[in-house]
Amino acid sequence: MSKVEVRLTVNGAEYVRSVEPRYLLVDFLRRELGLTGTHIGCEQGVCGACTVLLDGQTARSCLHFAVQVSGSEITTIEGVSAEASLSPIQDAFHRNHALQCGYCTPGFVLTTVELLRQNPSPDETEIRRGLTNNVCRCTGYVNIIKAVAEAARSMPTGEG
Amino acid sequence: MAVPDRPGDDSWKIVGRSIPRREDAWLLTGQGCYIDDVPEPSNTLHLGFVLSSEAHARIVLIDAEEALALPGVIDVLTGEDIARLTRPIHTGFLLEGHRDTTRDAVAREKVRFVGEAVAVVVAENPYVAEDGVERVLVTYDPLPAAVALESAAGDDAPLVHEELGTNVVLESTFATEGLDEAFADATRIIKETFRTGRIAGVPMEPRGCLATTGRAGEELTMWTATQIPNIVKTALAKLLGHPESGIRVITPDVGGGFGTKAHFYPEELVCPALALKYGRPVKWIQDRREELLTNIHAREHIYTVEVGIDGDGAIVAMRCNMMANAGAYSSYPFGATLESVGGVRFILGPYHIRNYGYETRAVASHTCPAGAYRGTAQPTAMLAIEGMMDRIAREIGIDPAEARRRNLIKPEQLPYTTAVGTHYRTGSYSESLERALEMIGYEEFRTSQPPDRLVDGKYRGIGICCYTENSGMGVAAVRARGWSVLPGFDGALVRVASDGKVKAFISHAACGQGYHTSFAQIVADQLAVPFEDVSIVVGDTGLTPEGTNTFASRGTVTGGGAAVRACLVVAEKMKRIAAHVLEVSADDIVIENGVAMVQGVPDMRMTVREIAEVAYSLTSHVMPEGDDYGLEATDHYDAGMPTISNAVHVATVAIEPADGTVEVERYVVVHDCGRVINPMIVDGQIHGGAVQALGEVLMEELVYDDAGQLQNATLLEYSLPTALDVPMIDIEHIQSITDENPGGFKGLGEGGVIGGVPALTNAIADALAGIGANVNTNPLKPSRIAELIDAALESR
Repeated sequence: MSKVEVRLTVNGAEYVRSVEPRYLLVDFLRRELGLTGTHIGCEQGVCGACTVLLDGQTARSCLHFAVQVSGSEITTIEGVSAEASLSPIQDAFHRNHALQCGYCTPGFVLTTVELLRQNPSPDETEIRRGLTNNVCRCTGYVNIIKAVAEAARSMPTGEG
Repeated sequence: MAVPDRPGDDSWKIVGRSIPRREDAWLLTGQGCYIDDVPEPSNTLHLGFVLSSEAHARIVLIDAEEALALPGVIDVLTGEDIARLTRPIHTGFLLEGHRDTTRDAVAREKVRFVGEAVAVVVAENPYVAEDGVERVLVTYDPLPAAVALESAAGDDAPLVHEELGTNVVLESTFATEGLDEAFADATRIIKETFRTGRIAGVPMEPRGCLATTGRAGEELTMWTATQIPNIVKTALAKLLGHPESGIRVITPDVGGGFGTKAHFYPEELVCPALALKYGRPVKWIQDRREELLTNIHAREHIYTVEVGIDGDGAIVAMRCNMMANAGAYSSYPFGATLESVGGVRFILGPYHIRNYGYETRAVASHTCPAGAYRGTAQPTAMLAIEGMMDRIAREIGIDPAEARRRNLIKPEQLPYTTAVGTHYRTGSYSESLERALEMIGYEEFRTSQPPDRLVDGKYRGIGICCYTENSGMGVAAVRARGWSVLPGFDGALVRVASDGKVKAFISHAACGQGYHTSFAQIVADQLAVPFEDVSIVVGDTGLTPEGTNTFASRGTVTGGGAAVRACLVVAEKMKRIAAHVLEVSADDIVIENGVAMVQGVPDMRMTVREIAEVAYSLTSHVMPEGDDYGLEATDHYDAGMPTISNAVHVATVAIEPADGTVEVERYVVVHDCGRVINPMIVDGQIHGGAVQALGEVLMEELVYDDAGQLQNATLLEYSLPTALDVPMIDIEHIQSITDENPGGFKGLGEGGVIGGVPALTNAIADALAGIGANVNTNPLKPSRIAELIDAALESR
């Protein structure tokens, strides 16, 4: 199959690759760039494990062809914090035991980045609503909800 | 008797603390390495499986011509081709009444469920593998299918395995002496049938594996998303005819298992077989549709329970007749017995029931094989017994909590052996019930609950579950269940390096339990070294000792037990070395926080690092006479029969009469798993289990039609709980320490779901009791509840 050029800015760095037009964004990130923190859970946009920020908005990387989003800016879990450190959101997940197997976790963290950017001090209902696009099978959400609330309290407005 | 943690027992300093998990560091930052993240060599071949579209059919023709014509497709293999490279999967089960079945890794001649592999496409990349799968044309000659449990058990049902002459693949009966007489003495007899729907574990990460070979095919390394690497290794040796000493099975980070990954699956045989055939790495990654179609299913059960009670509501006799849908094949390593035998033996729970009998059957059908999903049969067994407790209360006009009080095993009855021979050493059955009722404000709830249960326009109810949880099975326990391919013991190798840092290699595999943290807490305490100095290796048969791995709430009991025992040997050696250097008796040495000192003479001291330097001959000191070099020990620990945890869950629900939707309003748990290693991790396990129970009760169900087509093999149609559905959960712990294992630990991984299913079901049943609805069939989806409400209101 013929290939097309895809140009993406991912976590601040620009990448140019030639891939098949049908190549999914999630495969581009994982297989072309080696950014394996973005996970594939259902390939139907239901579970949210593949959530990334696409031009600042959460998006399902399993539902986009890489070529469709050529020219965009992407943030993956690898770009949420500087190497070997945790962002306030990640730290709140850590302190509240808001992850177990960790497979859904990158998606939850990126969803929380967007949630707290849009609403820096959400109440519990707003947190729950903000998280419904992501499925976790381990934690029962209890500690994720707590972690997001704590992250909101600990973060200066606007910090991701 | 509930034994409190010994006052003054200060040997556990790090155990008992909610230390945030170590594994978070890599899992939170995208540095986790799950099966699809394991670096694949550039010459890796990728597999795609062609799955049967028929539940029961003869394979007439497999036409691979179009697939083979695709650039990048290397090969297409049928069941016959794979059979030339592998032996059929067979558990070789040792249990009377069990009819073992054999499964080809890829079907030959016949298919027996939708999703069974009929061919495998080998390609240069995963996209082309999928293209190839779509171009393999299979012609089937369809046959009638046996699908639903009761019809599959019928005399005229199509046979899944003709050579057996029946679909009943397990039959087992038991009765205590004098059971009929005990029933004859009962004041009243209550009978009910409970049905539960088929569900699945649905870990967020589907399965996958990557097999590589080296040194002219002698060495086979397989990464696989499993809970049981050692069981997989032994199975591969047998089924590939490859020397086991040349096989290494590694589990990378695993994205959830819940028991579904505690089975050996056909793809795990095909991948290494083809890696050996082609001499190239071979990889397969499962997608969600395959996950729902082919990973183990569970919980399609029917229990008919009959209790005889005395005038006070105490059970004087009980019978249970159970059936479980086993699916098309025996699962490996559990056979078809896991749920059917478990259900009738676990159902006694924390209750004093001396006269008991059961009949149980596992029934093969043209559906996905059934097996282990968190709790195995315990959630449904407890659903049945707890449903009976509520019915006893209703029958004689007492409160449901009181019915339980009158039947629970009393503290003075411990240690206690149940009617089926399960041994309960310690527990807190009454204490945990009373505390849970207090936490949720049970009396107040009951007092303010109107007879029709309608409060603010919603039916409101409260449900209780008192349960026991089987954990930590050792050799005797797996033999008693007939599991010939499970060893039963587990192993730990504890090694202090020359710099005093410790690494413990434990025969378990992590899929979210936090082993890198909780096992390190145990080892740090046992060696009296700082927590930061201990690291853990699990999930690599090339590094850890042999063992039985991770399922059935075994981890802390068997792995923790092995670690405690190995640490003891290392600690004694450290003391001998310190005593030798300091020229005192080893009895006078105490080790604290990484320093060995002479008791009462704190100036006479050596650090663990200095001791290790002696052990590795890096100083001028020599070893004590009789001691070899090195500072490590390996232990293989057999925990024997199960250790029994217990807990009580109480939930309140509000049901919207208009549409049958359920909101869980309050949820409390009083939990007793003996010594708690890391309360935060334990609470997380309870949360997760309880919410899986919520899914099981309110929304999850795998629906097969009469032809055996799975109607909802996507996450769009198989609903899972989200953050909007769940209650906050209040948890308290009671610690009834046991002396059955070296750490006083009891398992807990499954309890959340075991307690949650009955508590939530009973809360709904209670909410609908006012209008006279009888709740005996799960799941209780809104449509089902709306039907129950309509029917109840109509019949009034």
